[in-house]
Amino acid sequence: MTRYLLVLVPILALTACASRNSAITESDSQVHVRQMQTRIYDSLDKSDTLRSVLATLQDLGFVIDTADYEMATITATRLQEYELRVTVTVKDRKNNQLAVRANARVDDQLIDDPHTYQDFFTVLDKAIFLTRHNVN
Amino acid sequence: MRKPVVHSSSRQLFVLPTLLVFSNLLSSCGTTQPEYFSPSQSSVAARKMQARVFSSVEEPDVMSAAAAVLQDMGYTIDEVELPLGVISASKRANATSRLQAFGSLTLDSMKCAFTFLIACDGARYGEIDDVQDIRLTIVSMPKGNGDVTVRVTIQRRIYDKRGRLSEQSTISDADVYESLFAKLSKSVFLEQQGI
Repeated sequence: MTRYLLVLVPILALTACASRNSAITESDSQVHVRQMQTRIYDSLDKSDTLRSVLATLQDLGFVIDTADYEMATITATRLQEYELRVTVTVKDRKNNQLAVRANARVDDQLIDDPHTYQDFFTVLDKAIFLTRHNVN
Repeated sequence: MRKPVVHSSSRQLFVLPTLLVFSNLLSSCGTTQPEYFSPSQSSVAARKMQARVFSSVEEPDVMSAAAAVLQDMGYTIDEVELPLGVISASKRANATSRLQAFGSLTLDSMKCAFTFLIACDGARYGEIDDVQDIRLTIVSMPKGNGDVTVRVTIQRRIYDKRGRLSEQSTISDADVYESLFAKLSKSVFLEQQGI
């Protein structure tokens, strides 16, 4: 009996450690994740886009944790019964296009539902429209 | 040759669980995550409460006035990004309510007395709200006509005497925003006067 325990305990400890460590680098297919989280916008100004992202996040009740114009990265948190954290990045692309990417987590869970990201971009579309037409 | 007949009762026995399993599977497929990024119906009202327009003032002056008013209220600045008009700040403050403390102490004392000093664990006292971590963001947005819109979002986490998280929320009390904007208006005025 003790012999079994001597074998079992280290195996259990090792598997627990392995599953805990797998969380550090876990991801779905990288191409799929990027597609789900990214939307391409035509002929937009980077500054206006970032300001629209800020307006979107505030509309959705977020407090901004970090915002960097140079890196075009904004991270924000919303506190409700849960903690929702999101990072939004804006990248230049060819042909005067911008790629806006958002990734989000709720507590210890990754948000991997495409509809959730679609909802975010729907609100962002409206904010971009308002920024373009200078309506605040 | 007669085909084997399955009695209706035994068929039901087989069909019912199968249906149940399938309906369960279907319903689990239909479940989606909550709508985290859907603006609530009250978002227009929230924007009205959280935003003010400052006329004939430059954006950097509003930002500077905002930083000053945060310092006035005892916040420390966590993040500033001038090109985007963002300031985020936080502070830890007392969250004790005298009424809550009195109620908990009374209940603890009663429990202690009724159990003849056996259960004097102060359990209720440990659940009293103790401190709150308040975080807020001020974002300025220049409008085309020379006005600047300022929007504030505030949230907090409250911890009890044992250090456990007892509440986390976004502040939706209009009076809080009203008070903050009154101070910001004063701060913008003071900045313009160079005070």
